[in-house]
Amino acid sequence: MKPIADQDHYEALDVSPSATRDEIERAYHLAKATYADDSLAGYSVFQEGELPLLRERLENAYRTLSDQDARRAYDEELTRPVRYGDSEPTEPFELPRAVDVVPTVVPPPLTLARDPDAEEGEEEQGEYDGARLERLRVRRGIELDEIAGVTKVNPAYLRFIEEERFDDLPAAVYVRGFVKCYARCLGLDPDRVARSYMQRYEERPSKRRRGLFSRRPTSPAR
Amino acid sequence: MFGTGGDHTLGGGRIGAEPGRTRRPGFGRSEGPQLIPVGGGKGGVGKTFVAANLAATLARAGYRVVAVDVDLEGANLHTALGVRRPRRSLADYVAEREEDIPKLLEDTSIENLQLVAATRPNLGSPQPGHARRIEFVRALRQLDADFVLLDLAAGTDRSVMDYFMVCDDGIVVLSPEPTSVENAYAFMRAAFYRRLRLAMLSEELRTLVGLAMDERNERGIRTPFDLLREVEQIDPAEGARFGRVMRSFRPRVVVNGARSAEDIRLGFSVCSVCRRYFAIEAEYMGYLNHTDDARRSLRALRPLVDAHPRSDAAVYFGRIARKLLETRSQTGGVA
Repeated sequence: MKPIADQDHYEALDVSPSATRDEIERAYHLAKATYADDSLAGYSVFQEGELPLLRERLENAYRTLSDQDARRAYDEELTRPVRYGDSEPTEPFELPRAVDVVPTVVPPPLTLARDPDAEEGEEEQGEYDGARLERLRVRRGIELDEIAGVTKVNPAYLRFIEEERFDDLPAAVYVRGFVKCYARCLGLDPDRVARSYMQRYEERPSKRRRGLFSRRPTSPAR
Repeated sequence: MFGTGGDHTLGGGRIGAEPGRTRRPGFGRSEGPQLIPVGGGKGGVGKTFVAANLAATLARAGYRVVAVDVDLEGANLHTALGVRRPRRSLADYVAEREEDIPKLLEDTSIENLQLVAATRPNLGSPQPGHARRIEFVRALRQLDADFVLLDLAAGTDRSVMDYFMVCDDGIVVLSPEPTSVENAYAFMRAAFYRRLRLAMLSEELRTLVGLAMDERNERGIRTPFDLLREVEQIDPAEGARFGRVMRSFRPRVVVNGARSAEDIRLGFSVCSVCRRYFAIEAEYMGYLNHTDDARRSLRALRPLVDAHPRSDAAVYFGRIARKLLETRSQTGGVA
């Protein structure tokens, strides 16, 4: 590890240079939570004015590393001094300061085609279907078992929610509760998510619509 | 490396009866138990709860475990393990009434799990000095057991930190509250700087490290990175030693009382902050859910994992125990 000012993008995100896209996503979201103003993990650590700088540093790193082309260009920048160093053995090898490297790698414009959920604030609009919930969960690095552990909702139901296996889920009143718990765990607005998801649930193509208490769901094995 | 990781299957809270009595080749150091201190700086975060239940989890898996209470001021590991009135205690050793550590051992209701209590006959009885603590730890290393867990007192006093020094990767318990997070950082930094100080050979550098421990020091040393640079300037050989000590310290964080996914993630964030700001390679070992079972089992004077072996908490303790076993062959004590 090195002082913050000397860290490259990978170190700033706390990932290895061979990190996959998913790992970078996860590290980014973790770091964002770590450097939030009300972050518990940052309590007593940061000095005043330090957090905005750290967040800027983080965004910078993420912008480069989350874009394939920009990342490749950046990787080349990172390795170049090594090759030069070979011919000049008297010069001690020093990693370029990340801040100096950034301008040469033009950050990609934000309009680049990306995963619809990749942007900040993306969670504010659009429909919440099972696939999207799963995507948001994975991006946050949370396992279903963890959600189950905290909410006490059977993990099989949580999986059914993500897979939209509506017929395997219990009555609407339960599902709404489960979805709310799930959303809360992900830090999403529980009401908004539940409203959106339940609309899908109600409009499901199933012929066997169940009333509130018409049938006890069969408990899936944990 | 030995494939020990796959051998220990602690699944679903019920732990496969792994015979701890048969020592695998290359398991642990040459001989003797692995010492695991459980600290965390703040009181009430669950150090005793974690120590008692981790000890019970390992014992239930067939390992021979000794749980040691080293908190003479607030002894209650014995209660967490269901031993109401210990007949012997660390206090007997401190007062030099008993020199033979195996004679301090109390059986618990759990097979393979023994206890060294810290109850004191009267409050005026003496506290051990530094030398006596070191002697005690040395004696613990001679015990015929697989694991010795140490339940530490709160705070970062020298009397506490001595016990956290017994290995590179002690457990730091924290709960998802600012007060606990603050103290956990203070605790890990205290341990870190203490190790650095101990590793430095020259008096000058020891003083420098001591100075750096105080954040408002006049030399403007704010982070361990600054300190490393200073040390390297004074003596490159000491700088290299400093770097080695820096890398070898790997405290393991356990989040106790998690109620949300955010709480669970706290462990990752804390470790990340440790790595970046304190140069401490902390590892997130796992979390334990907030549960009323903890209080209920305490009332019943039984460790939770023993009273409720199928509870969620037991599953989480199983995961943490498995991590301990996986890394056991790789960790050694401080030279």
